[in-house]
Amino acid sequence: MSKKIQRLGEIDRIIHEPARLMIVALLAAVEEADFQYLRQATGLTQGNLSAHLSKLEEAGYVAIEKAFRGKYPLTICRLTERGREVLDKYRKVIRAAL
Amino acid sequence: MSEISHNIVNESPDAIAKRLMQKAHNRDGLPEIAIGLSFLTVAATMWMQVVFHPGSMGYTAGFWSFALLVPAMILGSQWAIKRVRGQFLIEKAGYVQLKPVNRTRSGIVIGIAFVVAVVAAFAAIKGSFPPASLMLARTGIGGGLLAALSGGIPRFVIGGIVMAATGILVAFSRVSLGLGFAILFGLMGALTLVSGCVVFLLFVRQPAETGE
Repeated sequence: MSKKIQRLGEIDRIIHEPARLMIVALLAAVEEADFQYLRQATGLTQGNLSAHLSKLEEAGYVAIEKAFRGKYPLTICRLTERGREVLDKYRKVIRAAL
Repeated sequence: MSEISHNIVNESPDAIAKRLMQKAHNRDGLPEIAIGLSFLTVAATMWMQVVFHPGSMGYTAGFWSFALLVPAMILGSQWAIKRVRGQFLIEKAGYVQLKPVNRTRSGIVIGIAFVVAVVAAFAAIKGSFPPASLMLARTGIGGGLLAALSGGIPRFVIGGIVMAATGILVAFSRVSLGLGFAILFGLMGALTLVSGCVVFLLFVRQPAETGE
C-alpha cells in the first residue's frame, strides 16, 4: 500500500494540473483540435488556454501548428507521442494509487 | 475550475474527455435539431401507416419512408452536422478531427441492429408482440433513460422525463401501437426540434472570439 502511495511522487506535475489534464485528455481522445474547439470544450478563457498550451508545447507533450481552413485561420493542436506516453503513465499511477 | 479538480479525483482522463466532448458536441443544438427531425419523420411515417389502408399509396409511401428515409436520416445526420459546422460555424464551434471509427465496434452495433430488426419482423408476422401498452411504456421509459443519461445536460434530463411520462400516458390511453408510437415520437420530435433551434439561435448570437 505504501509503495502505491509512494508512486504518486512519480506523477508528472505538468500534466497533473487540472486544466492541462483536461486539455491533454481531450487531445488524447481526438486526432487533432483547434484552439477554438478546445476553448469551447474546456470552458477556459483565451489567455488561460493559451498559457497552458504553451507549457504543454514547451514540455513536448503537444504539437501546435498554424493552418487555414478556407479563409479561417486555425491553431491546430495535437498530442505528441511523448504526451501520449506521459498520459498513459499518469493513468497507471493514479489507478494504482487510488 | 474547482469543479474540474473535483472531477479529476473522481473521473479517469478518458471519462473527462468523453464528458467534455459530449458537452461541446451538444453546444450548438445541431444534434438536437437532427434528432428532432428524425423523430418527426418516424412519427409522420407511422401515422401514415395508421391512417391509410394497407396497399394504398399513402400506406406504401409511409412504409418505404420508414424503411429507407429514417435510417438514411439517422446515418446521414452526423455527416450533415459536420458539414454545417465546417462550412458555417467553424469560427464559433472550432475545428476537431475525430479518431477514425472503430470498425469492429461499428460492425457489432450494425449486427445487433440487424438481429433486432429480423426478430421484430418475425414477431410482427407471427403477431407475437407483447401488448401495445407495454411496448409503448417500455419505449418511453427506455428512450427517456437513454436521453437523460447520454447527454448529461439538464435539458436532456428534462426531455428524458417528458419522454418517459408521455410513454406511460400513451400506454394507459389504450391507443393502437402505431398511433401510440406516432404520438410519442411526434411529441418528442417537436420538443427536441424546438429546444435544438433555441440552443442554435443562442449559440449563433454569441459573439465569436477568434485567435489566441
